Amino acid sequence: MKGEADSAVDRSKAKDGPAGGSETGGEKGDTPTRWIGTRPVRPDGVDKVTGRARFGADVHLPNMLVGKVLRSPHAHARIRSIDASAASALPGVKAVITRDDFEDRPSEFVPAGEMLVNYRDMVRNVMAREKALYEGHAVAAVAAVNERIARQALSMIRVAYEPLAHVIDVDEAMAPDAPLVHEDLITAGVEPPPTAPSNIAKRIEFVHGDVSKGFAAADIVVERSFRTCPVHQGYIEPHACVASFSEDGQADLWCSTQGHFVVRGHCAKLLGMEVSKLRVIASEIGGGFGGKTVVYLEPLALMLSRKSGHPVKMAMTREEIFRATGPAPGTHIRVKVGMRNDGRIVAGEAELKYQAGAFQGSPVQAGCMCAFAPYDIEHVKVIGHDVVVNRPKAAAYRAPGAPQSEFAVESVIDEMARKIGMDPLQLRLANAAKEGVKAAYGPTFGPIGLVETLEAARDHPHYRAPLAPGQGRGIASGFWFNIGGQTCATLNLGEDGTVALVAGTPDIGGSRASLCLQAAETLGVDATRIRPRIGDTATLGYTFLTGGSRTTFASGMAVIEAANDMIRQLRKRAAMIWDIDADAVRWVDGEARPAGANAGEFTPLSLAEIAGSAGKTGGPIVGRAQINAQGAGPGFGTHLVDVDVDRETGRVSILRYTVIQDAGRAVHPDYVEGQLQGGAVQGIGWALNEEYIYDDRGRLQNPGFLDYRIPVCSDVPMIDTVIVEVPNPSHPYGVRGVGETPIVPPMAAIANAINDALGIRFTDLPISPPKVLKSLREIG
Amino acid sequence: MRNHIRFIRKGQIVELSDVSPTETLLDYLRLRERSCGTKEGCAEGDCGACTVAVGRLRAGRIVYEPINSCIALLGMMDGLEIVTVDDLAPSDEHLHPVQSALVSAHASQCGFCTPGFVMSLFALYHSRQRADRSLVNDWLAGNLCRCTGYRPIADAALAACTGEPDDAFSRRSAKTHALLESLIDDHDIRIGDDESFFAAPASEDALVSLLERHKDATIVGGATDVGLWITKQLRSLPQIVHTGRVASMHEVIVDDDRIEIGGAVTYAEAEAALARIDPDIEELLRRLGSKQVRSLGTIGGNIANGSPIGDSPPWLIVLGAQVELRRGDARRRLPLEDFFIDYGRQDRALGEILLRIVVPRPAANEHFRCYKISKRFDQDISAVLGAFLFRIEKGRVVHARMALGGMAAIPKRAFHVEGALVGCEIDDPDARARAMDLAAKEWERDFSPIDDHRASAAYRLQVSHSLLTKALNEVADRPTSDMRLIDRRDLHRIEIGDLNNSHDSHPNAMDPGSPR
Repeated sequence: MKGEADSAVDRSKAKDGPAGGSETGGEKGDTPTRWIGTRPVRPDGVDKVTGRARFGADVHLPNMLVGKVLRSPHAHARIRSIDASAASALPGVKAVITRDDFEDRPSEFVPAGEMLVNYRDMVRNVMAREKALYEGHAVAAVAAVNERIARQALSMIRVAYEPLAHVIDVDEAMAPDAPLVHEDLITAGVEPPPTAPSNIAKRIEFVHGDVSKGFAAADIVVERSFRTCPVHQGYIEPHACVASFSEDGQADLWCSTQGHFVVRGHCAKLLGMEVSKLRVIASEIGGGFGGKTVVYLEPLALMLSRKSGHPVKMAMTREEIFRATGPAPGTHIRVKVGMRNDGRIVAGEAELKYQAGAFQGSPVQAGCMCAFAPYDIEHVKVIGHDVVVNRPKAAAYRAPGAPQSEFAVESVIDEMARKIGMDPLQLRLANAAKEGVKAAYGPTFGPIGLVETLEAARDHPHYRAPLAPGQGRGIASGFWFNIGGQTCATLNLGEDGTVALVAGTPDIGGSRASLCLQAAETLGVDATRIRPRIGDTATLGYTFLTGGSRTTFASGMAVIEAANDMIRQLRKRAAMIWDIDADAVRWVDGEARPAGANAGEFTPLSLAEIAGSAGKTGGPIVGRAQINAQGAGPGFGTHLVDVDVDRETGRVSILRYTVIQDAGRAVHPDYVEGQLQGGAVQGIGWALNEEYIYDDRGRLQNPGFLDYRIPVCSDVPMIDTVIVEVPNPSHPYGVRGVGETPIVPPMAAIANAINDALGIRFTDLPISPPKVLKSLREIG
Repeated sequence: MRNHIRFIRKGQIVELSDVSPTETLLDYLRLRERSCGTKEGCAEGDCGACTVAVGRLRAGRIVYEPINSCIALLGMMDGLEIVTVDDLAPSDEHLHPVQSALVSAHASQCGFCTPGFVMSLFALYHSRQRADRSLVNDWLAGNLCRCTGYRPIADAALAACTGEPDDAFSRRSAKTHALLESLIDDHDIRIGDDESFFAAPASEDALVSLLERHKDATIVGGATDVGLWITKQLRSLPQIVHTGRVASMHEVIVDDDRIEIGGAVTYAEAEAALARIDPDIEELLRRLGSKQVRSLGTIGGNIANGSPIGDSPPWLIVLGAQVELRRGDARRRLPLEDFFIDYGRQDRALGEILLRIVVPRPAANEHFRCYKISKRFDQDISAVLGAFLFRIEKGRVVHARMALGGMAAIPKRAFHVEGALVGCEIDDPDARARAMDLAAKEWERDFSPIDDHRASAAYRLQVSHSLLTKALNEVADRPTSDMRLIDRRDLHRIEIGDLNNSHDSHPNAMDPGSPR
């Protein structure tokens, strides 16, 4: 079987089942654990295979209306007028909304949770105001008794557009004579500020050392230009929500989101509500990858519900998702690297131009910061441009900003290794960032695992396996910051000793399992006795969204702290029952024990026993935590890939793929591996086949899964994984986020492998069959 | 005449008389039954989140096939058993083997695609085949997962699908068999009024006379295309005439010199017979749409709606296929290559029905090849589809036929290029090169590919040249590359021992050990 690779996983610290007991209460990662590192079935595993799991579109309320959106057919057009009178008069139509229903907001970046948000832009993105800024931009919405009438009503809304010249290419958008997406946009980050508006929203610069000095010391310098296409997150579940206003002005909103607290904040702002009047309930979420961290339908559904007095359900079609929701930005990147003949990298320079879409805020800053992050380089200069174009506003997609810039840098590093005849892995080892190195973007790294992933790659059988003639092997490393942030968790002890775990981060890939395991480990009880739930916005304090690879880390820390809070109470209750001092009670293996002989002779009290008598010892026992998690450990990974290229059609086949990543500590190794495999496969799609194709009028030509080709089963081998564990000292068990880093290396790893096979350096993504065939013909 | 449809749900017969002509099975499940386990991910038959299994009797046995419920019409479900993800497990303690395997393999991350995977694997489980990775790829080509990278899903499939189904469905198969048999009748179905109806006539005559009365009615085979007119283009199709109940249009006749395929035969039903013509056809069909699409889609429909990018017309044309049409009492037969007139225009009158396709089998001295070029290996529209047939006598090409899809407004033969190939000494590499040079000069007289989002004209041209070179070289038994354009040419998957008719002259075609 082609590309069938060994499925064995080198994971020295993982165990297959509960191991021996240990004193608990939040210890460091190198002590033996009973639950951390095991692979039990996840709490929602059965729900997922039986169809019982309820996603955004599965919520149904009595008298519910269907909401649909009218979208701009133009990439760029002034909206002269909107006449919805005929639509409003259609029987069965209960509400029509347009720009007039939303109050304008000032243009300023204000904090919203962990983010800075410009509500002037957001109110325009959810509903076009002066202009439609991309094909698919929402212009009006209706709520009707059924979908047929809603669609009919949309067709009766008269919009007078004045089509304008559009621009979708990042370089064309930066040209002085480009059509202006916003007539009042003045480039930030330039001193003195320009007097004329442009499409360049922001210029940023990261410098350390002196690159001119660096390049002067270099024996060889390679400079290359790269282009990447926008790619969509491609979650299989379409955006969907149900909004229900009650007469007292309060509302409930069910939606598929990565962060319902964030949704609450945005919607309350756009609707002019107090946040306490809006309760947001996160449904199960059918994939997000960053794309469900923003609001599209939710404010519209709320407005339609407020106006109609009925609950309103809205769901996007796949076509709407492609036309109107955020892709990762397309980019144009120039990278220049200087190296000495001994393989030491002495200077790195890059200029990044990122498509922000219709509103500023591309992840170009992260792209700048990540570009050279895997390397210890003395002289670095990175300049970034955030450029608005007539495309949907870019949204986060797994390590937002990093895959593009690291693709460029990792491609150049590979080329340099070939130039000096050095093994590209050894070259990376020789320059790898490690603890104590000042990162190219500023801070000094604590314990990190890049070197360990490179060593694991070097020692992996994949690295030495023979290749057939014509095949190629590539390697690339990748970095992502990972984040922590504001997080709450509650553990409610039931009277039978079971525990209801309430977290505020929607579970997108198995985090309920990893939170349960951390709670079980800390409490010393069986993980099956803990039932996790994602609480709504009324049941928990503000909790930032699932993103930044933060959930297992930050919600994990909150859960551990909540468990320790509960343990303190449990010890107190045991002390009360035994009539001794609380300090004389230890909590070991899920039970209270006297701390030593001096404390007295008592039969240990189990969690269930203390829970059963809680009413007599002071009432309910609830462990709580509200934290602002700090110290997220940076994530590094190294990927190995073998490819074969069909010389007759240009098709690249992935024969073998190995992902090696530092997880700090793998709480549930299967879900860590799942993140590594899934990220790698998304990267394979990004590298080889996923692209947005526009016509000359700025209209998307491939808004569906048939022509936007995400990988299917036959496109990928069984992805191998190796989890490296360099514990993160900030987390009690050593956890680092793992979700984003794995999408960073694949594009360069694959381009490097193709170069190894063909001797052709591809700098533009995707490396699709036509491009490969064309290059093959050009070199004869 | 029946004014209702009947199907089996959870062991019971369900009768429905309120069926709107374009109501999809998915809407019925989610909105009427409130069986919300089945998901809508694209409403275009691409992602497979809506996959359900339909059971039907075939050759006296219950066969479960996966279908996309988002584009299947409810009316088409008459006579079938419908199995959804909600039906498989009586309790959490008694999960279906494919469900247990998926849970143990941690094969869900977000879990939204999981119901569709469960149902595709349920169908694979009941196919009685022992799964290997290649078979898993075939059965899962129509299911997209964006979270897992597929590995744990494939692992679960390999663990669960052992070729010996033993579940609640296999245990109650006698009862299901009896229920399915009880649903068989020869009544015409007609639900609605003259303005708006769903009709499924049971005989050719009834079909023809209905279409005489309602010439504008939409004729539906498997709805794999019409379904998108409804869900994506939002067209209003008030009158639907489904061909699936016409018994005579379901026949597949395999003769020594030809194969006849009824106009309502699905790809799944025709696969085994068509594979006998040539292993390339088997490979091609394996890559046509997905299992879900082939379970419903009909070859007749693929031809009749005249898509310029259909995967079947080029090879059928090259083989000299004919189509038989009927309108009223008038029957006619014409070569398929004459059926396509211009973009979107076929030689078919309103209300005229495509009864069957007659496919001649190549003679021993006729060598056939076909290749599909698409950006993604599975589940993709062809950028170019090339089909070739060379009659070789005494080492010389005496007759050549070639047709390309994706290279013009209609699938068509390349008469000028063909002419340039006649006389080529097939075993002489120089002669082949000369023939290619001659052919290249004729190329643009036959083809005028367009640039679109699937491929550029330049790429189509370049690849189409490669395909002819490849076909010539392969027929001369000099494979140009280890990797085949549509996978490797091997025969070991053909179950029927019918290989000696046309392929024993190709040693390279007989390499059962080559990996896939």
